Parts: sequence; C-alpha cells; structure tokens
Amino acid sequence: MANRFFRQRALVEEAAQEVFLKAFTQLDSYEGRGSMEGWLTRIATNTCLNMVRSAKRRPELAVADLTDDENHWLDTNAGHTGDEPQSVEDKVVASDLADRLLGTLPAEDQVALFMIDGENASVKEVAEATGWSESKVKVRAFRARRKLRETMEKLLGSKAGRREGKLA
Amino acid sequence: MKNKHIIEILENSPLPALSDSDLATITSHAKECESCERAYQAARLSAIILSERVSVPVEPSPFFQTRVLAAWREKQSIENVPAWSRLWKSTRALVSSMALTTAALGVLSFFAPGVPSAGEDTASAYSAEAVLMDQQSDDQMSYEQVLSTIYNDENDDDVR
Repeated sequence: MANRFFRQRALVEEAAQEVFLKAFTQLDSYEGRGSMEGWLTRIATNTCLNMVRSAKRRPELAVADLTDDENHWLDTNAGHTGDEPQSVEDKVVASDLADRLLGTLPAEDQVALFMIDGENASVKEVAEATGWSESKVKVRAFRARRKLRETMEKLLGSKAGRREGKLA
Repeated sequence: MKNKHIIEILENSPLPALSDSDLATITSHAKECESCERAYQAARLSAIILSERVSVPVEPSPFFQTRVLAAWREKQSIENVPAWSRLWKSTRALVSSMALTTAALGVLSFFAPGVPSAGEDTASAYSAEAVLMDQQSDDQMSYEQVLSTIYNDENDDDVR
C-alpha cells in the first residue's frame, strides 16, 4: 500500500512502520464488522495520505525540468499510436516521470488517480479505503486526470515548439 | 461541441477502461481535429506512465521487521510508564532549579546582613540633607547681598 504513494524505499518503510504501529495500538477499535484487510487498508491509506500532505507540493513541471532520459522517453512515445512494450530502463524513466507529474497534484487527487487509473481500482474500493464518499472520489479522479493530461499536453506542446524553433 | 465531447470522454474515465466504441470515436475524431489529437496523445502518455509507476515495486529491506518490532517495543515501554513519572521526567529540570533557588534565598535570608532600622534611615536622610544644604550654600546669596539687591531695585524704580 505504501508503495502506491512513495517510491523511495526509506519513505515506503517509514509509512509501513507507522501503519503497523497504528494498527497495533488501535487493534481494540477493530470491531470485526468489515474485513481485517479493509481496516488495515484504511489505516494505511490515511497514514500515507497524511505523509503526502505534509510533503511540499512541487510546482508545475516544465520541459526545462525534464531529464534527458525523460525528454527522450517523451520524444519516442509521443509519435506512436499503439502501446509498445517498454524496456526496463524506459519503465524506470516513465515511472520517474509519473512521480514528478503526480507530485504537482494535491495529495487527495494523487491517491484517487493512482488507485483508479493506475491500479484499476473501482470508485467504491477507493471510497472504502479512504473513507470518502464515492462522489468525492469521482471528482478527485476527474480533476486529477484533467490536470495530468493538461500538464502532459503543455509539455508536449512546448517540446514541439522548441523543435519547430530549432528547424526554423 | 464535438471536441468538448471527446475531451469529456477522456476525462470521465481512465483510458484503458474506455469501451471500444469510445476509443473508435476518439481516434476517428483525433485524425481530423488537431487539438483533440494533442489531448488524446497526452491522455495516452499519462496512462502509460501511471501504469509503469504501478508496476515498479519497492522491496522492503531485510531489517524492516526488526525495525518495526524495535519501534513497537519502544512505544510500549513509553506507554507502560505511569503518567506522573512521565510528567516528572519532563519537568524534573524546572522543579529542581526552582527548589534550588528557594533554598538559596532561604539561606541568604538567615545569614545575610539585616535590613537597617527606621532610625538609621532618618539619620542618613538628615545627613544627606545636610550634605545637600552644604553644596547649595556656595550658590546661595548672603542676607546682606539679598537686602542690597532689593534696595537697589527700589532705588532704581524711584529714579524712573
């Protein structure tokens, strides 16, 4: 679960440890109504969400902020129409780029988008894990999807602009 | 209107979850409309990076379990200590310094020289006044000087 939110091992372990400690201390509050897994997922989601909230939100990503690998990845994948399999290196670059783009979104939007679009979780599942209403999950995912697409479009637009500038 | 519709399709649900008919609508429209083509490409790339982000797992270190158990034991040991003991630990330094200061003041009140009596105060006040008077006496006019000044002023008025 912590892996959904963080990629650095230190952060994942910190979050997982916090979740276990909370679960141990709050074990009395578990009434056995739902599944133990669901109860743990909710603790984990809220703990990770708090950690993401406390982290500073990154400013919007510009082409100048991209690494050479990320630029190359965008150049190679932007022209293709199908979803070609990615090499191991490309997977890492794409994952880094996803992390950087997700970091520009509010914590709640990140969670909704990551769970629904990344992990194919249903709106109901996200609502259960976070304790939000289903409409809130939908709104968050919609907003995050739009923001991510717009940021990506801006990146692609400015890259195309630069290419045209160089050709001229 | 049609453009807006396609962007709505892109934003309403994840790209991999779209039906074949929706995808067909999007791709056919994107071929004709440049802005929708850009939106579609951006949505497609966003979907790819998100799926790649999910597929990279982070393995915990082999010491993770030991670390969690140690943190749990530490938490337990803190919680098992009674509240008054925790309070004492946190305020020990302050209470000790206050007690030490009180004791020092008590010792000083017994062994330090006492406060001077009222009579001594008056005497010192008088002596102070005498010193002041003495200092002022140099600046003051003598009785004869005062009289002569007054009479001189009156004589001047008469002449006028």
